[in-house]
Amino acid sequence: MRRLAAVSAEAAKLGLHVGQKATDAMALVPELQTADAEPEADAQALTALVDWCVRFSPAVAADRPDGLFLDISGVAHLWGGETEMMADFRNRLSGSGLEFRLAIADTPGAAWALAHYGRDGTLAPPNGQAELLKPLPPPALRLDPEAAAQIERLGLRRLDQLMDIPRAPLGRRFGASTLERLDQALGRSAEALAFRRPPTPWVTRLAFFEPISAPEDMARVTQDVTAKLCARLEAEGRGGRRFEVAFHRVDGKAPSVAVGLSLPGRDAVRIARLFQPKLETVDPGFGVESVTIAAYAVEPVSGRQVRLEAGLDAAVEDGLVPLIDRLTNRLGPCAVWRATPFESHVPELAVAREPPILPRAEARGGGEPRNAVEGAWGVGETSARPWDREAPRPVRLFRRPEPLEQVVALLPDDPPVQFRWRGRVHRVQRAEGPERIGEEWWKGDIGDVSVGHVRDYYRVEDAEGGRFWLFRAGLYNGEGPPKWWLHGLFA
Amino acid sequence: MSDFRAKRIAALAAKIAAIESGARPELGVLPFGDPRMDERLAGGGLPLGRWHEIAGAGIEVETSAAPAAFAALMAAPLARRGEAVWVLRRDDLWAPGLAGLGFPPERLIQVCVRDEAEALAVMEDALSTVGVSAVFAEVEAVDLTAGRRLQLACERRGGTGFVLKRRPFGGTAKVEAAGSVSTTRWRVGSAPSEPLAGEFGLGAPRFHVALERSRGGRSGEWILEAQGAYSWEAGDVAHPLRLVADLGDRELAPASERHERRAA
Repeated sequence: MRRLAAVSAEAAKLGLHVGQKATDAMALVPELQTADAEPEADAQALTALVDWCVRFSPAVAADRPDGLFLDISGVAHLWGGETEMMADFRNRLSGSGLEFRLAIADTPGAAWALAHYGRDGTLAPPNGQAELLKPLPPPALRLDPEAAAQIERLGLRRLDQLMDIPRAPLGRRFGASTLERLDQALGRSAEALAFRRPPTPWVTRLAFFEPISAPEDMARVTQDVTAKLCARLEAEGRGGRRFEVAFHRVDGKAPSVAVGLSLPGRDAVRIARLFQPKLETVDPGFGVESVTIAAYAVEPVSGRQVRLEAGLDAAVEDGLVPLIDRLTNRLGPCAVWRATPFESHVPELAVAREPPILPRAEARGGGEPRNAVEGAWGVGETSARPWDREAPRPVRLFRRPEPLEQVVALLPDDPPVQFRWRGRVHRVQRAEGPERIGEEWWKGDIGDVSVGHVRDYYRVEDAEGGRFWLFRAGLYNGEGPPKWWLHGLFA
Repeated sequence: MSDFRAKRIAALAAKIAAIESGARPELGVLPFGDPRMDERLAGGGLPLGRWHEIAGAGIEVETSAAPAAFAALMAAPLARRGEAVWVLRRDDLWAPGLAGLGFPPERLIQVCVRDEAEALAVMEDALSTVGVSAVFAEVEAVDLTAGRRLQLACERRGGTGFVLKRRPFGGTAKVEAAGSVSTTRWRVGSAPSEPLAGEFGLGAPRFHVALERSRGGRSGEWILEAQGAYSWEAGDVAHPLRLVADLGDRELAPASERHERRAA
């Protein structure tokens, strides 16, 4: 059966309502135009609206199916106050042709009630939401349908009637959730909202009189907005590890670019320079009308005095930490690493990649090179045992072992005397081995364990002095010749 | 007479060196510890604050295992003074292997880049960073402009650069750059090892090293051995490379020497 999922203001005037059968509605209003409901598209549009709202506050939560919450604590002053902020919000939102109702209150519950059942644009004064909630009907509390029906049946029409009932009978009669909702609306208990992005109070924005789009303007506003945020971070003795700049375009889209630092920082020049190469990817469209920057992973950072004899001492910009940040942001976080031991016999698993600078280094004195004791074998960073220096290991290890052809070995378990690799025949003069390396059978399925996964490694040297690390997969068992592979090259 | 001439030439060379270095402080050299090698290099050792070119011989042109190990061993004393950055185009460098040769792997930062230009840019960036003492980059060729830029980057902070010339797998050889401004140019291949008497298997890794160009010095050719490789002494020896045999003195072949000068 088809039912009405939503009705326009005009249709509502004619007496149509949500949930009505489509045939009944057609009978009432023969010229009714209907379109199929698309809940997924609605949800997508709401998500887009949430993204758009980030220009007002970094903490925006979608209230499905048709609402959203903005946490505006600490951001309203950017507009000059809550009234001005709401006016600006209304102004911009109505430009996009949406139907909406706004309310500001201390708690999400009260704001929801006022937006849905109160006067549009209600601004509840601090701690004054109880007065405004009193005349509203009970469904304003976002009750579950059962409790709402029960309240309705008992003839309670206004919230003040509910508020007057002592708590214990109220909870007993209408369920704990009713009590909970009432407490949430009145601010007596906290409510968790699922914000679309983690809320950070470290947000700054810049708005322009005219939309900008020139690349040099974009670079300059990025610098300005970064400097603004960094000044705040500096004043509070903090630094961020991740920064994200969003460019709010006139068409409502907000492309953003992000950079990460290996240590928390607040050097505006440095951070702005990291953004620079990424700005090319931002399409300004018809123009950008405001820019926001948010800092994430904000931690306290102890201030360090800039050396007076700046000419003699190294500039901060030339240090190792900024270099790593530049490379990581340009090439991607996986492209810059320090190899650390990982306890595994399987060669390709024995190396773990770690970011070159761990935040813990800050506690030991920042980007200065670590002293010899700390930097020595395996001390500090990981608890894994260092690589065995007595076991010969190749300098180059192929990601995938390369197959060898025409391998001649005189006896089983003998190293090959000749093999062919990349079209060239190598005659083996000296050889060492085998070093048997088994698979990590305790990691896989018990059924997969077999002797076929054993590798016998040999280190061989050919007549020209080339040294190779090859292995035979599996054991000799009379089923055809074994496979030989080249896994690495020695110096 | 000839003594007088030699003295004049030495005095002039010192004057030219003073003009060339300008106001930049003398950065010193890294001696190999063997006079037969050190006398071929200006200043008695590998000049620091410059960049050096290391090419491979034979299949090492593509695999670059011996050149990489040689460069790492040559720079191992440097890596103990600061961080080392290794710019790769294929990430097949394996830290356990370098650790076995005596290179401190905890000082090694590896960077994988997408193309040649990026490799040179990252190398330049790393060279002008405080706290980075050695930078390695695997590239195919360095033209004059790029070489000059690298030299300026080296001079900024006194970092030492090692360019490992490496051809991509299966790629055709690029035309060799007409000239190069590297301070030294080496060609490195592996040489057969000799196990100690009464021992089986392979001996310590040996390299066939040709110094093809040495600014302010002379060329030479030697067999070197990695001392203490794959043992607990790795990295604790005075210099990880030991001279095993002197293969040729180019001074005895004046014709080729003159040719060499002109090419440089």
